[in-house]
Amino acid sequence: MIKEVHEELVLWHLGSMTFHAKTLVMTWMTMFLICVFCFMGVRHLTSGKPGKMQNVLEWIVDFVSNLVGDNMGLEKGRPILGYLLTLITFVFFSNMIGLIPNLTFNLFEHFHIEFAHLDKIFEEPVWSSPTADINITMALAILTICMVIGLGVKHKGLHYFHHFIEPFKVFSIIHIIDMLSKPMTLAFRLFGNIFAGEILIKVILMLPGKSVLGGIPPMVVWLAFSIFIGAIQSYVFTVLTTAYISQAVSSDH
Amino acid sequence: MGGNPIQFDYTFVVMIVSFLLLVWLLSSKAWGPLMKMMEERRSRIESMLAQAENERKQADQIKREYQEEMRKARQEAQEVIAKATKVSEARANEILAASHEEAEKIKKSALADIERERDRAISEVKAQVADLSVLVAEKIIRQKLDMKGQGKLIEQFIQEVGEMQ
Repeated sequence: MIKEVHEELVLWHLGSMTFHAKTLVMTWMTMFLICVFCFMGVRHLTSGKPGKMQNVLEWIVDFVSNLVGDNMGLEKGRPILGYLLTLITFVFFSNMIGLIPNLTFNLFEHFHIEFAHLDKIFEEPVWSSPTADINITMALAILTICMVIGLGVKHKGLHYFHHFIEPFKVFSIIHIIDMLSKPMTLAFRLFGNIFAGEILIKVILMLPGKSVLGGIPPMVVWLAFSIFIGAIQSYVFTVLTTAYISQAVSSDH
Repeated sequence: MGGNPIQFDYTFVVMIVSFLLLVWLLSSKAWGPLMKMMEERRSRIESMLAQAENERKQADQIKREYQEEMRKARQEAQEVIAKATKVSEARANEILAASHEEAEKIKKSALADIERERDRAISEVKAQVADLSVLVAEKIIRQKLDMKGQGKLIEQFIQEVGEMQ
């Protein structure tokens, strides 16, 4: 089944390096959308009565600030607040963009624009989520773990590595497995959820012939569920990142 | 290639760079100013609340002072009324006493007058009686006193006394 619905990846080549073209284009589109969204929110910044977009942004900031405040205290968490805010918006927007129909209407293909394989990137009926690519989720997870170690060292110095051999030296194996499994679980959880969602959307769209119309109700249900899943997963990713970092920086360890 | 959805390549590196750029861009242009603004609003609301609290306290103070003054004024008015009442009572008593005295004096002098008049009348009557007595004695002597003429004489005498009074 996977072979049928998951088409050949469109690759960009640069020397011997390869890049997932569709994933990267979608990533940059997502980032662009986030920038537009955020700049709409901060365009008329005011400390008085905020506009609608500013309200939305403030809600997000409040949400993440509370999260950080509950986990490690706002003072310790202030430096990573920007990262976490970007993270939650990026993951959420990424999850959502895969549910949007292909709004380029195959125009690239129609006009034979083959620049950077754009015609092949936009040939599918829906856009795809950047988070449905393991490279993206793993990149985010690795960034998380880098921050965990980096902030741990920053707050505790070299003493941070001491917890690897606690209570006995033998436990270092468990600690190392723990350290490796954290980014793995983060990455694969998000990837799996979103990738599965996209596969199912494609499967529903592949219902042959007349039963395409019969696919509308399951599609509606699945899209609604995907929105829910997308929101939950972005929340989970951010919460776990916060939790791991707070574990690393907390002094009662 | 193809079927396996889990393939790592340099997309990973590009993503890390892109994402860090996004973090930097949004932190400096969006989240930073936004949080600064929120902080500003928080402190402004805080100061406004403090000010409101201050003003409430002041209003309370003023109200208390006002009530205190009202109470004082009322008390003073009460005192003034009480004093006035006392003064007027005293004055009335004084007037009453004075008039009593006056009346007593008038009565006394009237009594004294009456006494004097009566004494004078009595003394006048006495003098008259003495005169009449002398007159009667004269008439008795003049008309040769007999037993028969005695009744007529007494009657005349009484009549004369009645006329005098």
